[in-house]
Formats: sequence, structure tokens, C-alpha cells
Amino acid sequence: MGERIVFTVAAASAIASGILVVTLKGPFRATVALIGTLLSVSVLFLLLMAPFVAAIQVIVYAGAIVVLFLFVIAYLGERPVAEIGDRLGRYAAFAWLAVIVLAVQGVVVLTTTRLPGVRDDPKPVDDIGSPEAIGRSFIDDFIVPFEATSLALLVAAVGAVLLAKRAIRSEGGR
Amino acid sequence: MTATVEGVPLVLYLAVSGALFLLGLLGVMTRRNPLLLLLSVELLLNSANLSLVAFSRYWNTTDGQVFALVVMAVAAAEVVIGLGLVVAVFRQRLALDVDQMSSMKG
Repeated sequence: MGERIVFTVAAASAIASGILVVTLKGPFRATVALIGTLLSVSVLFLLLMAPFVAAIQVIVYAGAIVVLFLFVIAYLGERPVAEIGDRLGRYAAFAWLAVIVLAVQGVVVLTTTRLPGVRDDPKPVDDIGSPEAIGRSFIDDFIVPFEATSLALLVAAVGAVLLAKRAIRSEGGR
Repeated sequence: MTATVEGVPLVLYLAVSGALFLLGLLGVMTRRNPLLLLLSVELLLNSANLSLVAFSRYWNTTDGQVFALVVMAVAAAEVVIGLGLVVAVFRQRLALDVDQMSSMKG
């Protein structure tokens, strides 16, 4: 029963802060709302027996990515978006249409699925979320994706440096 | 779904994940500030991670959690490049609006 309560609170706060992320006007406030979603999802990860993923979620997402966002927002300053020339505004109706159609599809799939045990109590699991289990899985089964991830991070770092250099050069060097 | 269930069944996690995905999708399609667009993309990635970890719990395997960690690393790389682009655009012209970023030039 306690699990149910924690799940309800975390899910409600995740969706509520998600709505704030999508609706708030100011970038700073939307970013702070995103922290709420990230922390709620990490509570859901804890309920799903994934303590390591929950810790990484807090450290990498709430700790690194959100701080990067906040730095860029502080660098750019709070600046209202020009609402002149509203070309994309006309297409918002199609965005709503797509979202509603997808929501109906999701509800139909979730209510009619025949996956065994999808609506029952979750079965007890082995040790699947500990750092040891995840490390063994990375080394034994997923060594190629692991190395590919490190390559992707290297490419991203080099790309960020190149972008910054080009931006400085286009300003006439500094 | 049923009142007799003590724990939380998989279908509820999938419902929460789907709701977050729809919110992120709506944000990506309606937001015009590129910073807020990237925030919505983070929402999308998080909903996918929630599904992965929920299925990992359901099938009693570690694979989904491993993939969720890979997704987090990719999200970090994507944010670095995305924010780098936002800053580069900001230094060239002042309007932060994806509507007006319609021309590419090397």
C-alpha cells in the first residue's frame, strides 16, 4: 500500500511539473520545473528497483544537464521571444491533433493489451539494479554500446569546441 | 487498475511514461524558443527512460537499465551540442526564435 502512495505522489508531481515545463513562459522557471520532473522520475526509478539509475538521474540530469541549461540562460539573459511574424502559430492546431490522436492510441493499447501480468502485482525480482549488476552487464554483454557511447561523448565535446570557436571568429575574433 | 493489487502494476508506469511523452511532444511542436524546445526534448528522453526501466523490472533483467544509462549519456551529448548551437545563433543575431532560423549557411 505504501508503494502505491509513493507512486501516486511521484507520478502526479512528475506530470504536474511536466505541464509546467511545457506551459511556463520564462526559460528559467521552465528549467526549474524540469528539475521537479527529473526528481519525481528518479523516485519512480527507486520504486522500480533501479537505485543506480535513480542516482545517475539525479547526478547527471539534475546535477549536470540542468546546471548547463541554467548557465546558458544566465548567459543569454531573460529575453522575451519576438512574437512578430507568427508563422508557426497557425500550425499549433495540428500539434494538438497529433498529440490527441497519439493519446487515444496509447489509451487503447494500454486497455486492450494482453501482455501476461501487465495489470497484476509485479513479481519479485533478482538483483537487477545494483551497480555491480549494471557493471557486469556493461562489461559482459554491452561492451560495444559502452565504447560507442564514449565515442559519442568525445564527438560532442569536439563539436561544442568547434561551435564556440566559429562563433568567436564570426564576431571578428576576440 | 484493479483494487486488489497491492503493488504498482506495469501498466501504470507505462501510462505515466506515455503522459510525459505526450507533454514533451506537445512542447517540441509548439515551443518557439530553442531553449524551451531542448527542455521538452529532455522530457521525451525521460519518458522513454521510464518505460525502459519499467520493462526492465517487468522482465527481471538489467538490460533496460543499461540502455537507460546509454540514453542519459546521449542526452548529455545532445544538450551540449544544442546549447552550443543556441549560443552560436544568439551571438550572430538576437532573436531566439526557431521560426526565424530557416536558412543554413556554412
